[in-house]
Amino acid sequence: MIADRYNKISVNLRRSVAEKLVKMKILICVKQVPEITDVKINPETGTLIREGVDSILNPFCEYAVEMGLELERHYGDIETVAISMGPPQASSALIRCLEMGVDRATLLADMRFAGSDTWATAFTLAQAIRAMEGDFDLILVGKQAIDGDTAQVGPELSEILGIPQIMYAVSVELTGNKKKIRAKREIETGNEIMEIKLPGLVSLSKGPMIRSVSSFKEILDARKKELRVATASDLNIDENELGLGGSLTQVVKIFPPQVKKTGKLVDGSEPQGAAKKLIGFLRERKFV
Amino acid sequence: MHEIISEIVDSVDFKGIRCIKGYNEIARDYSSYLCDESKLAHQGAQYLFFPANEGELSAIFQEMAKRDVKITISGARTGLVGGAVPYGGAIVSLEKFDKILGLRYDNRLKEWLVKAECGVTIRDLNNWAMKKVFPGLSEGGSAETKAFLERYKESKTTYFYPPDPTEMGAALGGTVSTNASGARTYRYGPTRNWVRCIRVMLASGEVLEIPRGKCFATPAGEFTIIDSKGNETGVKIPRHTMPSTKNAAGIFSAPNMDLIDLFIGSEGIFGAITEVEIALQKWHNPVSIVQFLPSDDKAIDSVVALRKEKSIRPEFIEFYSSHALDLLRNKQDEDPKVVGMPPIPDYAKSAVFFDLRFDPESKDNDYSKLEEIVCTCGSTLAKSWAGYEQRDLERFKNFRHVLPETVNSIIAERKKKIPELYKLGTDLAVPDQALEKIWAFYKSKLEKAGLEWVAFGHIGNNHIHINIIPRSLEEMKEGLSIYREFAKKAVSLGGTISAEHGIGKIKKEFFSIMFSDKELKEMKAVKIALDPGLILNPGNMLNI
Repeated sequence: MIADRYNKISVNLRRSVAEKLVKMKILICVKQVPEITDVKINPETGTLIREGVDSILNPFCEYAVEMGLELERHYGDIETVAISMGPPQASSALIRCLEMGVDRATLLADMRFAGSDTWATAFTLAQAIRAMEGDFDLILVGKQAIDGDTAQVGPELSEILGIPQIMYAVSVELTGNKKKIRAKREIETGNEIMEIKLPGLVSLSKGPMIRSVSSFKEILDARKKELRVATASDLNIDENELGLGGSLTQVVKIFPPQVKKTGKLVDGSEPQGAAKKLIGFLRERKFV
Repeated sequence: MHEIISEIVDSVDFKGIRCIKGYNEIARDYSSYLCDESKLAHQGAQYLFFPANEGELSAIFQEMAKRDVKITISGARTGLVGGAVPYGGAIVSLEKFDKILGLRYDNRLKEWLVKAECGVTIRDLNNWAMKKVFPGLSEGGSAETKAFLERYKESKTTYFYPPDPTEMGAALGGTVSTNASGARTYRYGPTRNWVRCIRVMLASGEVLEIPRGKCFATPAGEFTIIDSKGNETGVKIPRHTMPSTKNAAGIFSAPNMDLIDLFIGSEGIFGAITEVEIALQKWHNPVSIVQFLPSDDKAIDSVVALRKEKSIRPEFIEFYSSHALDLLRNKQDEDPKVVGMPPIPDYAKSAVFFDLRFDPESKDNDYSKLEEIVCTCGSTLAKSWAGYEQRDLERFKNFRHVLPETVNSIIAERKKKIPELYKLGTDLAVPDQALEKIWAFYKSKLEKAGLEWVAFGHIGNNHIHINIIPRSLEEMKEGLSIYREFAKKAVSLGGTISAEHGIGKIKKEFFSIMFSDKELKEMKAVKIALDPGLILNPGNMLNI
């Protein structure tokens, strides 16, 4: 009986080692954001005006997806999984990941997640990864989301999971027989090359100059791939650590920066006179 | 009803209207009003006016008629045949006619209608219609309009204005005057199909309000216009046969035709359109697809098959020839950001670009018929680019527009060495059954001549733009001669010499290929009846 048990454990171990040798797993954590270049805030409610604004996959997250797929193309035998936390409609950002070539996706959608700050978001993602993806090799994230711009979830996630991290990478390569990852990151004084052991986390700050385009076949096939929706109940997590209750910070108010009107306006109804005034002004200050 | 009464508008003192006088001042400070997108050389102008309402416009018309000064109407100057380029006289810019005037639902036609002044751009009109925000209507509109606006906003359906001339900065009035077309003409027809009412100022300074469906020609082909003093003007419509293709050449003619159609597409030679009421159409989310194919001939086959398959209803079908893709590849090597797409795959030897209705939420999208057609034509859906997010739709549209822009930039570069060079861009269309025949003709002539050329454009309407890019004056001469042969061939196949650019001042030499002397005389007779002083838009369409 002892021998049987030993054999079973041994077989399981051998299988997991064998699987590990052939298939690496990259998790890519992504966020859906409003497609906005000019953020408008409702002055009364202090919230973002989202009417008429499309939702897209956060561009930095798209870089992370591109990088994951690039690693898969280059090294082969890699499973890519996209994970996002958000309302049900955030599934469209995950579908975009599937269209790009990611193998499967999981959306963490539950009213109990609502109001999460960056810590609660990172904690929920970490718990989801532990509960559902356990044996991963690499987590890729975008350096920040273009709506909140905090750049905190990636580092927090690596701290909670207790894995090393490289932030603001622009290119990566697997080294040491796929046991390490080496990344080039742009810093103020130039470039820095860093290497960490896997499992680890890398955030991407730059992608290809031109966004990739899917084929129509990829768009149609993406809708047949696995897109799992998980709730808090799937995560083995204390409800007090979720959403607003689990958040260490709270947004008190959002407001646009005050615009200081320091410009000088030249009346343009008489173009000739206005041009003369303008030239006089520029000469006075020795601009021309 | 065959008669219509023109009305006087509230008169305005001519002296109070802002006017830029003298060629020197116009050329120095307002030179952009002397040219349009055709880059045709102007012949100067002595006055430049900016009327803001019909009263001012009427006063200008009357005063210029008294002084025997010709008038060139200027809109957004996006035309490609020199319609807004002045040949002396006065330029009247209608850019201040830029207001939305009304929104209503027509229960009989079962459609939403927007009334706007002629200077509103197609881009603004579409943005406002789709975002359901019409500047000025909620504040300044009547109680009835406000009620309609509320109803429109509450509707869950999104609406848009289908005509899409490639240049969306075009002014509404200009697009009606030229019966503008674009890619979507394939599915929705030209501008004419969407115009429900116009107000047009005649050379006399009086205005005609012409709703569609009210004033038709007599069986003898006549209209009578009665002015405010009771004087009658008879107008006999020309009797030529219109080609059964998309067409922008010549005046509209049909038995018992609607008077509104005489003015739509007449290039401003009968009057200036000041207001337009247009119909909106329901918007459906599309997916844009660039389908790569192994050869130009296979691309033509795919178009024929796509048109035959009734379960596939593309919004438009556009074409990139093998040479066009090569040109874009060169551009990508030079500056990938301008093209904005990943490298064009090596296997792509031709491509068609189309939009299909697409529901991103649905798992049951069935495109098996499309897949069948693509496979029959030697490709697969994996050999395509596709996108459905708004930013992707715009990106794909840019990929289409960057092609003619690249051709223009090559010509501009060559002009530095040989200033007389210009692009030879055809605007010919033929009926559906002649597509393969005309393509074979184009290709054999161009390949034999050894000229540099690309082909692209609205292949769904058999309206392929051949752009010959001459490297020398000899090549330009040869290209022009080939262009004439193409025009004759297109007309012999039942097509047109101008499917969308119009005639303007540039394409008159091809006019006689399509119309007989008698037919041209009939068109001139309409011009003389409506503008006896010949003051409006001299040089456009007719040599008179």
